[in-house]
Amino acid sequence: MAINRLETQGRKRKKTSNMAALFRALRAGRALRGLGSGLAAPAAKPPCVSLKTGFHRTAFILQDESKSSKHSDQDLTAGTTLKDSISNPDAEESSRPNTSYQDQTDEDGEQYESEEQLQARILGAALEFVPQHGWTIEAIATGAETLGLSSASTGMFYNGAGDLVLHFVAQCNSQLAEILAEQHKQVQLGQAEPKKTADFLRDAVETRLRMHIPYIETWPQAMSILLLPHNIPEALKHLSTLVDDIWYHAGDRSTDMNWYRKRAALTGIFNTTELVMLQDSSPDFQDTWLFLDNRIQDAVNMATSVEQVQSTGEAVVQGLMGAALTLKNLTGMNQRR
Amino acid sequence: MAVYLRRLVRRVVRLSPADCGVPAAAFSRLSGRCWTPPSCRRFSQETGEKNTHFGFESVPEEEKAKKVYGVFENVAQKYDIMNDAMSLGIHRLWKDALLHVMHPQPGTRLLDVAGGTGDIALRFLDYVQSQKERQTRRLARTTQSPSWQDISDNYSGQEDGEVVEAECRAVVCDINKEMLKVGKEKADNMGVSAGLSWVVGDAEELPFDDNQFDIYTVAFGIRNVTHIEKALQEALRVLKPGGRFMCLEFSKVTNPVLAKLYDAYSFQVIPVLGEVIAGDWKSYQYLVESIRKFPAQDEFKEMMEDAGFFCVQYHNLTAGVVSLHSGFKL
Repeated sequence: MAINRLETQGRKRKKTSNMAALFRALRAGRALRGLGSGLAAPAAKPPCVSLKTGFHRTAFILQDESKSSKHSDQDLTAGTTLKDSISNPDAEESSRPNTSYQDQTDEDGEQYESEEQLQARILGAALEFVPQHGWTIEAIATGAETLGLSSASTGMFYNGAGDLVLHFVAQCNSQLAEILAEQHKQVQLGQAEPKKTADFLRDAVETRLRMHIPYIETWPQAMSILLLPHNIPEALKHLSTLVDDIWYHAGDRSTDMNWYRKRAALTGIFNTTELVMLQDSSPDFQDTWLFLDNRIQDAVNMATSVEQVQSTGEAVVQGLMGAALTLKNLTGMNQRR
Repeated sequence: MAVYLRRLVRRVVRLSPADCGVPAAAFSRLSGRCWTPPSCRRFSQETGEKNTHFGFESVPEEEKAKKVYGVFENVAQKYDIMNDAMSLGIHRLWKDALLHVMHPQPGTRLLDVAGGTGDIALRFLDYVQSQKERQTRRLARTTQSPSWQDISDNYSGQEDGEVVEAECRAVVCDINKEMLKVGKEKADNMGVSAGLSWVVGDAEELPFDDNQFDIYTVAFGIRNVTHIEKALQEALRVLKPGGRFMCLEFSKVTNPVLAKLYDAYSFQVIPVLGEVIAGDWKSYQYLVESIRKFPAQDEFKEMMEDAGFFCVQYHNLTAGVVSLHSGFKL
């Protein structure tokens, strides 16, 4: 229904209240209609439940019921149903991700999501529009609109584009963790051969970097957003968990300086490969994977050469000690008088 | 019906502790006065007439709206000047901060309730306009030189400029016709007409349909509403899902030293300014008293959450003199 515009000049206040009364009557009529249909198919729009408000809302069950009957035959919105309100306190334990925000005819009815889950869904939807708008608030606004929410909901993201980029990075990391866990299970079941460390690292990094390919055009913008001072701690956290995950699944159980050495090395390899990928124009990023190969080879060689140097060093030291002792014996200085 | 039941519940809860905010007796209804003799107060509990605050006075609820109307009718002409004088121009910064936090996207529909002289709505249109210009400038910089088709489109676009702007609409709603009149004159003087509407309406009962607006703002108006919960519920109703409720209002100063200074300024200086500039002491006395009566930041945040808003947050501006509350309808 369009907004009725009233001229401000020459109308009595009584008419204003008449207008409001008319609207009230219309809404009441719709509510009565809605009640009938509302009872049959409870509206399934999942309001966001935060931990705090869950308990508030149970106190206003009647209010919510009237709201839900009002909205049940509207396209995109609905209040909570009576059932929803009662089961609200349980929502914290049993909040399930919603299947469809706009699904009104879902018979399950009691689907909730927390504010965080809704935010995650908005950001997920926004990723589609990144190639078009870049990593910006406009992408988030377009994403929110596809979910049926007003673009004003982007106000929830106080970090703006940073939220979007960090969400994407976190999503990629968890996807990689799943893939690695899956591979590990395969090896456990004996369905696959365990890979050598170098190959494993190479495959893991390649899989992870391939997730950037759909957004490679705008990835420089994303990287620059991650380098903003207020985003750096979060970005470093994601990077460190990524590297830790990869090494853990590669079988690293070291408890000494090696733990730090290995992760530092892999971080270096990952970051440099990411940068190379930005400028790579070969088919299917062949040059990038070649670069990655070489870097991992370097790291492995470095590790072996370090070992060799250590053992050589020890041998040399032992030889020197033996020579010194022989000298002392020869000159007779080794005798106790 | 549900609203009535809820009111009943609240009334029962409120009546249980005996305090001085007792509902008026039948006497007051007959006489129309706000004063009730103490002996009649016990009777009034059964008759169910409620009192509310009008500044530091206590008036029946129906009276409050009329009295507030009277106040703003008197101050309408000098409203903007008084704002500048009382806040030393800082109110402009507060309103700019509101717009900055709002960060409206193109194509947003704004409802400014108790918008009176249209400060927020005008700023909103300005902001969106400059955003659009910035966007087109950015596009022009990055794209190649435009083709003839693009150039001709741009020219035709300029002719329909008014239609394009109207896509971003602002509606100013106020209960007081005088304030709207002043606002309309101001807008006409500034030459802004596209995308702006002026509507008379009561915040407790908005003359709009459900799910109409992206953003609902109320700047320095909600403390004058008799039933704030009703206004919040109406806000929830007219907002689209995902819509944002933003409230700019005077609040409790956090720093105790500043609070003393602020109190002194409010009660000593402001009514004097009101008398000197606008010739109306009482209205500005009401103003500063109504500020004291408004709930504190956290309390208002809880009221918003009770009404059904999510992700409710507030920012204190000027050490708590003003606070900006924001909530979402999800």
